[in-house]
Amino acid sequence: MRYAAGVDVGSTQTKSVIMRDNGDGTPEIVVRGLVDTGANVQKAAEHGFHQACREAGISAQQVGFVVGTGYGRYKIAFGNAQMTEISCHARGAHFIYPNTRTVIDMGGQDSKAISVGAEGEVLDFVMNDKCAAGTGRFLANAAEVMGLSLDEVGPLSLQGTRPVKITTVCTVFVESDILSYLAQEKKAEDILRGVHLAIARRTVSLARRVPLEAELTMTGGVARNIGMVKALEEVLGVTLQVSPDAHYVGAIGAALFALEKMDQSFESGIWRGAHATGSGH
Amino acid sequence: MTQTRSEYRGQIHKRQKELMLKWYERLDEAARTGTPPTAAMMISGNCVELLEGFGAVPLYPEINALQMAIRHQSLEPILIAEELGYAADNCAYVKADIGAYLKGLTPADGKLPVPSLVLCNFVGCNTYIKWFEHVAELQGAPLYMLDVPFLRTDDPSRADIDYVIKQLKEVVTRLEEITGRKFDLDRFRQAVRCSSRVEELWSKIKHLAKQTPSPFDAYFDAITLMGPLYVYRATPEGVEFFEIALKEMEEKVAEQKGLYESEKFRVVIEGPPPYPYFRTFRDMFAKWKACAVASTYSTVGGLWEFGARHDPAQPFEAVAMHMLAQNVTNRNYLQRYEQIRRYVEEWNAQGLIIHFVKSCRLFSAGQGDMRDYFTKTLGIPTLYLESDLEDPRYFAEAQTRNRIDAFFESLEHQTLTRLHQEAR
Repeated sequence: MRYAAGVDVGSTQTKSVIMRDNGDGTPEIVVRGLVDTGANVQKAAEHGFHQACREAGISAQQVGFVVGTGYGRYKIAFGNAQMTEISCHARGAHFIYPNTRTVIDMGGQDSKAISVGAEGEVLDFVMNDKCAAGTGRFLANAAEVMGLSLDEVGPLSLQGTRPVKITTVCTVFVESDILSYLAQEKKAEDILRGVHLAIARRTVSLARRVPLEAELTMTGGVARNIGMVKALEEVLGVTLQVSPDAHYVGAIGAALFALEKMDQSFESGIWRGAHATGSGH
Repeated sequence: MTQTRSEYRGQIHKRQKELMLKWYERLDEAARTGTPPTAAMMISGNCVELLEGFGAVPLYPEINALQMAIRHQSLEPILIAEELGYAADNCAYVKADIGAYLKGLTPADGKLPVPSLVLCNFVGCNTYIKWFEHVAELQGAPLYMLDVPFLRTDDPSRADIDYVIKQLKEVVTRLEEITGRKFDLDRFRQAVRCSSRVEELWSKIKHLAKQTPSPFDAYFDAITLMGPLYVYRATPEGVEFFEIALKEMEEKVAEQKGLYESEKFRVVIEGPPPYPYFRTFRDMFAKWKACAVASTYSTVGGLWEFGARHDPAQPFEAVAMHMLAQNVTNRNYLQRYEQIRRYVEEWNAQGLIIHFVKSCRLFSAGQGDMRDYFTKTLGIPTLYLESDLEDPRYFAEAQTRNRIDAFFESLEHQTLTRLHQEAR
């Protein structure tokens, strides 16, 4: 049995995925691991990877190839190659949903829209520029100022019926907006609904710069927030595909590249799993 | 992937340094002795030929500003200008230049003179009006506002050409009064002849980038050649420099020597570079063995690769035409689209990089539409980057690197996918 790994070192969390080659060209996810990135990127990557190996019941030496992705990818000393999270999210989303043509990825500090080809290759992409508006950080700040946990804000926002207008797109100034609404005794759910819609509008205006073609898949940590998914769907007017593995999509893509690079099929243009029908969900 | 640096260093790089140093020495001499006379001008559509008629030396605040940026010295003068009241999103060239003057900073060892004339040729960039007004006021220098109309049609009208010629002749009169020197018409004609020759040589060099591999980078290396192009174009030294440059490039082509051992990607770059991170930015492309085969920034001084030349038979009209029509900043966006489209097709590029400069509305307004046009209408892969040409605070290294890496990965993956599809 041959194993390969993808390690996605994000600004907030480090995701590790170990995949197995079953010998028939269909890769399979063995383990998904999650640790907080913290201040030491290299340590987080090592910790996440070794934890995933332990869970898979294999030694690190049994992993034939490791591809690092995410902002911390160059800090992964044990990695064999690095690839950007743009390529990895496209690849991972395409593995899970082969008809994906657009990926909207929302992470801790980045939001991006990626136009994906039939084989999972990136055709075009746009990203937020030097501003955390429209990212997980915006939501985290909003949650903090309201004294809520990040897990609570999404579901609570769905109960809002009269969303407030959030006019700022600044992650810092949104706090003043929220405090002002709290002072006006607006309901928490209405404020949160307003926050989610503001982020959704900003993300969609970014995403419209690439061809927004069906099927649309949402990936990244923020995809776990149901309020954000619904707000995006409302603004876009379409349904988004959100896998239970949304948070791991970058690491899955990296692991797929690792499998291919392990036997050099990547360099010959043979992208494995390009026509896979799913990942076991 | 291993880190690669592009280290093409030919005779031209050495000679360029000598020439630019000599230029600063002449400016220092002017500062100390009042001779030779000098005139401050904008690079774009400059009329350096006219100055030659007086033996006067050009002074380009833009070059001073970018030299400070490339040496990581631009933030201090920018902050000084902001303390004066310049806004965060004002042109950072302006702020660096004004701040440097107030602080007495210069990009070279010597001093910079108070210009004999602040000759504001605001070709296509209105910001220069206020910039040069402020320069003139601060330094107590005389100001001539050379009003070059925006190009409103593909070619300038007769009335526009005559309007500019009339002003050029007024400038001659002003300079005669200021310098006490008589305008030397023969020397002016000779200057226009030199310019015409340099334009021919420069154009040939730029066309050599059509070769695979390209002998030089038409963005990063072109910037090296742009200094002599603006300062020495109208002189025999300029002609000699560009003759050496062409010979060097032709030799590289004959030996099939490219910028990299194996050129992997060919791109076109639009917009000025982030000078405070010039080397870092260049290495981000070198890592992918990506060579810029053409660039719009290298046409701010003049757009000669499509045939335009100063006509020595009509020197005043030649200078007027150059100011009106033959530089990228006075042309409309559709003309710029066409220029880039031709670069991609004729120079055989795989993609376009747009560098949005936060503090330069002149270059950057409309680049979002430009990206749409090239990606959606023409199907040319296009990468959009944002930072600044002068202000280091707007350059986010990790984000910029990530976008460039992702762009070249996508080109690589698209090629692999295509090969695989063809093999099936």
